[in-house]
Amino acid sequence: MKKLITILALGLASILHAGEDPFAFKNDSLAVANDISFSHLSVFLEGGEIYPMGDLMDAVENTLYGGIGVRYTYWENVDGIVMFQYAYFKPRTDIYYDGVHQFMGRVGADWKWKTIHPVILGAGFSCSWTRADAEEIYINKRGGTLTDNETEFGWYARISLPVFKYKEYSAGFHVMWEQLWTLPKRSNMLYAGLTFERSIW
Amino acid sequence: MNSLLNKIISIFAVSACVAFASIDPEMEGMEVVSRDDGTFLIGSPTFYFDRALGAGGIHSESELWTPRKLRYRQLFNRLSVLPSWAPIETPSIWMKTGNEIGDLIYQDFITDPNERPGNRTPILEAGVRTPLWHGLWATFRLFQDDHYCTRTYAFRKPLVEGSFSFFGENWPMFSSFYGGLGYTNNLINASVLAGMEYVWLFSESSRWIPVHYKPRVEARADFWNFSTTLVFENAEYQNKRKKESGERHEVNGSVIYNCGESCKHGMLQLSAGLAFRFLDDDGVVYTGLQDNRVLWPFLEMRVRPMDQLKFDVMFGINNRDWLVQDSVEYHVPVFEKMNVTVGAKNIAGSRLNPIADTHEYFDGDTISLTASGKMNLLQGYVGFEDSLTNFLSFGLRGSFWAEYGAETFETKEYVENGLYTFRHGDVARINSWIKGVTGEFWLKLWYKDLLKFTTLTGFERIDGKEKRFEVNPSEFFVSFNADWLIKKTFRISHSLRYRSDAEWNLRSKDPFVVKGDWYWDATFEQRFPKWGITLAGSIIQALGDEVVETPNGDYSRVRFFCTAKKAF
Repeated sequence: MKKLITILALGLASILHAGEDPFAFKNDSLAVANDISFSHLSVFLEGGEIYPMGDLMDAVENTLYGGIGVRYTYWENVDGIVMFQYAYFKPRTDIYYDGVHQFMGRVGADWKWKTIHPVILGAGFSCSWTRADAEEIYINKRGGTLTDNETEFGWYARISLPVFKYKEYSAGFHVMWEQLWTLPKRSNMLYAGLTFERSIW
Repeated sequence: MNSLLNKIISIFAVSACVAFASIDPEMEGMEVVSRDDGTFLIGSPTFYFDRALGAGGIHSESELWTPRKLRYRQLFNRLSVLPSWAPIETPSIWMKTGNEIGDLIYQDFITDPNERPGNRTPILEAGVRTPLWHGLWATFRLFQDDHYCTRTYAFRKPLVEGSFSFFGENWPMFSSFYGGLGYTNNLINASVLAGMEYVWLFSESSRWIPVHYKPRVEARADFWNFSTTLVFENAEYQNKRKKESGERHEVNGSVIYNCGESCKHGMLQLSAGLAFRFLDDDGVVYTGLQDNRVLWPFLEMRVRPMDQLKFDVMFGINNRDWLVQDSVEYHVPVFEKMNVTVGAKNIAGSRLNPIADTHEYFDGDTISLTASGKMNLLQGYVGFEDSLTNFLSFGLRGSFWAEYGAETFETKEYVENGLYTFRHGDVARINSWIKGVTGEFWLKLWYKDLLKFTTLTGFERIDGKEKRFEVNPSEFFVSFNADWLIKKTFRISHSLRYRSDAEWNLRSKDPFVVKGDWYWDATFEQRFPKWGITLAGSIIQALGDEVVETPNGDYSRVRFFCTAKKAF
């Protein structure tokens, strides 16, 4: 009876969103016992080239990118991924500054599907922060919005192919397609590059 | 008998748990954005119309005072969770950031500057609550929501000095910071918070009024069966365009004696309390409270003569107003596997929110926010929910309501100003009966803790001599909600829903119609039970057209935000 009243109270609390404990799952002993997250962790360096797709091909040139990332165990066949990258984009149209700094952060997951081993499928959300490499601000000219900080979210899907493994090191290729939720149209880019990874534990 | 009660409670527990998909709100207090069970129209984080279908009457939930809202914020004449100064209870550190989607980025290089979409704006929140140290803890929280701000920005910007926020130059509808200390042990839970806040209040004249709380201090103490709250606010008002400024020093708070543990098992449960506000206005402020004070004593009572029957009464009275909210509910023990409930409720009083200000001052006009006479809302309902299986249930609820003397606004004049329409007049009553009939149907499916699925639909027909209310609510909605919890560590919650047209009638000459639309919201969350970490991303208001849902309000846009939390 007491338990039922507690459930009722918790249920109502979830409706009212008052006094709700977002960490209630910490008290689920089965969930804690089965949690294998962070049982392995590795860091990686990545670099490659970005190819704008669709009408973005008329907006910016291909460019190089580089960054770092962390891979951690989430489930048995699924790793969690966090990435930070940088790229410098040069405009293709007549813009009054040289280019734009872009920092990218991504959170996602990699699925090590045994059937297609060693190919790894991944997807997640991404966030791009951009700022024009401009000394003067002309907000009403083309490209002017980027002289203020602009941020846009989006999502990515990627295929990784680690072809080389030696002790705690591995290296391979990756191809990633990313869509930013921009307007008037969405912005699509294709990334292709190399990954060097080192297992920490 | 006890098993029947157990069953009833478990049914309600299951219903309560799966009533809504657990979409994360972008800020505490903005759950209304993702609600689907009625009419929820959002003009800004600080102003929305929220009315569940079947609630009865034509008012919105936030217009009605109840003892449950003692610690809510008073935003003009509405009671709101946001901006919440309730300390986060779990010792943890958290951070949240997001943006309305649809910035240009490199599309700017190939888009004519005259054809740019409107600027998209972010949200930001960061906070911490320390673990206990000999019962002591500390907390701080910085939170600001820049969504719903760009359309009204041009009007609001010249009214205030500076950027009127802690961050950025979007003139957000609120920006808040507090820090403080608390003490918690078995006998007492107490805290004192102090901070600063920028808020834009939406008034009966349809103006946005900037208020800078500098400082705001809130103290709370819960001990034995008492809950007490004491707030001091130094609120600065300004209108730079008219070179006006003023200050309001306000002390408000409440004390309540709650029915204790032993009393909750008894047949009669009693709670009693007092809410109060004391003001001292100086210079030009845009609202006023008669006598500069309000004292609001109230009493709550529950009588449960038998397990299946309960009566609830809330009664408050002071020298100006009175308010009664009572209900009776009976679980009919006729069919063993069908839980049939019949009930009735009544709200009567001279004012829905008796602790709110009584006047608004607008260009030489004094708008009265109170109306003579009284309102009376009566509602009867019948519902049932079957419990034939342990993975599926369905239920029905039908109600009939009638309201006399409903609070409304009697407009004397509209003032057009570009995009905006303001109004002169007074709060008044509809002195005729408004009647409504409602029906809801739901179906729920669940499988262990892996899946909870709910589909819910409802209709409402309102009739009476008077056809134009502040808001004529939607007549129909349907929603499909699901919460998945995979391997106890990955949560996907999503909600797909449709609401039919709603209409604002009294804030512009012609009705302001909010077209019906479909919406999709989703939250994806990684949980790390061993580490007490969550990482979540949420998409809000996808699918639907970007529309303005309240007069003089702002666009409700598709937005994405992510949250990281770590419990200590």
